[in-house]
Amino acid sequence: MVAELDIDARGLSKSFGDLKAVDGIDLRVERGECYGLLGPNGAGKTTVIRMLHGAARRDGGELSVLGSDVTTHSRRIREEMGIVPQENTLDNELTVYANMWVFANYFGIPRRRSLKRIEELLDFVQLTEKWSEQIKNLSGGMKRRLLIARALIHRPRLLILDEPTTGLDPQARHLVWQRLRELKSGGLTILLTTHYMEEASQLCDRVGVMARGRLLVEGPPADLVRERVGEEVIEIRGAGREAAVAALNGLGLDIERAGDTLYLYCRSGAEVVERLVSAGEREFLRRPASLEDLFLRLTGRELRE
Amino acid sequence: MNAADMIPSRRALRVWLRHLVQYRSFYVAEWAGNFGEHALYLLAFGYGLGRLVPSLNGISYAQFIGPGLVVSIAMWTSTFESTYGAYNRMRIQKTYEAMMSAPLSLGDIVFGDLLWCGTRAIVGATLMMIVLGLFGLIGSPWALAVMPIIFLVGLMFGSLGLVSAGIAPSFSFFSFHFSLVVMPMFFFAETFFPLKGLPEGLRLFSQMLPLTHAVKIVRGLIIYGRVDDFLFHLFVLAGCTLGFMVCATVSVSRRMTS
Repeated sequence: MVAELDIDARGLSKSFGDLKAVDGIDLRVERGECYGLLGPNGAGKTTVIRMLHGAARRDGGELSVLGSDVTTHSRRIREEMGIVPQENTLDNELTVYANMWVFANYFGIPRRRSLKRIEELLDFVQLTEKWSEQIKNLSGGMKRRLLIARALIHRPRLLILDEPTTGLDPQARHLVWQRLRELKSGGLTILLTTHYMEEASQLCDRVGVMARGRLLVEGPPADLVRERVGEEVIEIRGAGREAAVAALNGLGLDIERAGDTLYLYCRSGAEVVERLVSAGEREFLRRPASLEDLFLRLTGRELRE
Repeated sequence: MNAADMIPSRRALRVWLRHLVQYRSFYVAEWAGNFGEHALYLLAFGYGLGRLVPSLNGISYAQFIGPGLVVSIAMWTSTFESTYGAYNRMRIQKTYEAMMSAPLSLGDIVFGDLLWCGTRAIVGATLMMIVLGLFGLIGSPWALAVMPIIFLVGLMFGSLGLVSAGIAPSFSFFSFHFSLVVMPMFFFAETFFPLKGLPEGLRLFSQMLPLTHAVKIVRGLIIYGRVDDFLFHLFVLAGCTLGFMVCATVSVSRRMTS
């Protein structure tokens, strides 16, 4: 049985002048799935999101969301889709509550009918006590939670979040994660972009890594890490560690040098550690391979500014 | 963004309602301020300056400029709303972006803003009319019929303001809008002095300003209860408004979509 696709993009492209912001990507997100789009700044993640709700026009490819073509049915799609933008787009001069009902009104939900839903949602994101507060008096984390509540006002089938936890403190971040997991178990399809690999590992069934407008790899985070990086990583810090490297000859390790650090990627670290210790090497770090390793290996370590 | 998204629907009222909700928080202070300001204008120009002016076709100078002030207030209010106000919504507060993530089209958003500009114009003009009434400067019950004209003025200057807001790189750009669009009309649209007797070039210039036609209609209605060449003036006014509305939609859509 073929699962229903809530997002189906084929050969999606978008250029700004000479810059190919999105360069022919295929993206399929199944109903009820949580998909994470990863990538350094400028990889094209936000452009993909803007195309999904029709704010940016694609140059090429096919794009269907919730079963309809975005070019011709953008409004109908937005009626069933919630969007949590990267930047605060709340009405700063209105209260928390007024922000919610004004947004409900954009969807044509009458005020009386939206009351109960607003109460529910403010409770869901733990902002009930702030209902009469002006937006300017909210913290960054509260604003982000309100943006999430606002995006759910019309009970969407698909929720899109552009860097939902950037700039939040750990408490706020964990609250957002918990809420997103609850929404997912309620059957909501979720697409999110993030810089936080832990976030992607925690929430996403599948991730796709983007760089320079292309989708480099795609799959369940744990599988991707195992296949592309290995099980364990050993880091050796400090210059002049040629002796240590020489001791590892013949193990067929994947070695990467970045700045003053050597990264040894391997299936199992046990033998590597043994050899390092017998070569007199005492200072190293042995840890499980993570999505961050995969990300940096794929997209490079240089800064993207 | 396809062409269908540029055409407004009744959903524009949802945008209008948002502006109304936001307005609720500061209208009392604004009305009080405007009321005092309008009265000052009328006292200073109508009665202060007016003492130096001989009667114009049998009406006093205060009577003459009263309707001019009503129209220019409609122009100022809708211009502020559509330049500084709309730029703030478009670029600073990202209100437009939020609306576009809901099922509102660009046409709905632009038209909602324009409806709001028209509403603000009516509110401002009404306050001025009350002042005129208190000073006994309203000569005909037909004065109430100026409101649709005032609404058109609001739409027209709202549209012109949105054109600028769409292309403005920053707030300071609007000083061009005020010195090139608003000030010439404020002074030369027969608001403060009659066209009769002006040098031919200036008279022609004045007649080409769309606001002149609004002033003629409004002055006729408030003082005499009738307007010469009413349909002609209305046609010019409505035509300009429609044209500027199209320009406003194009300008905002170029800013908001890529």
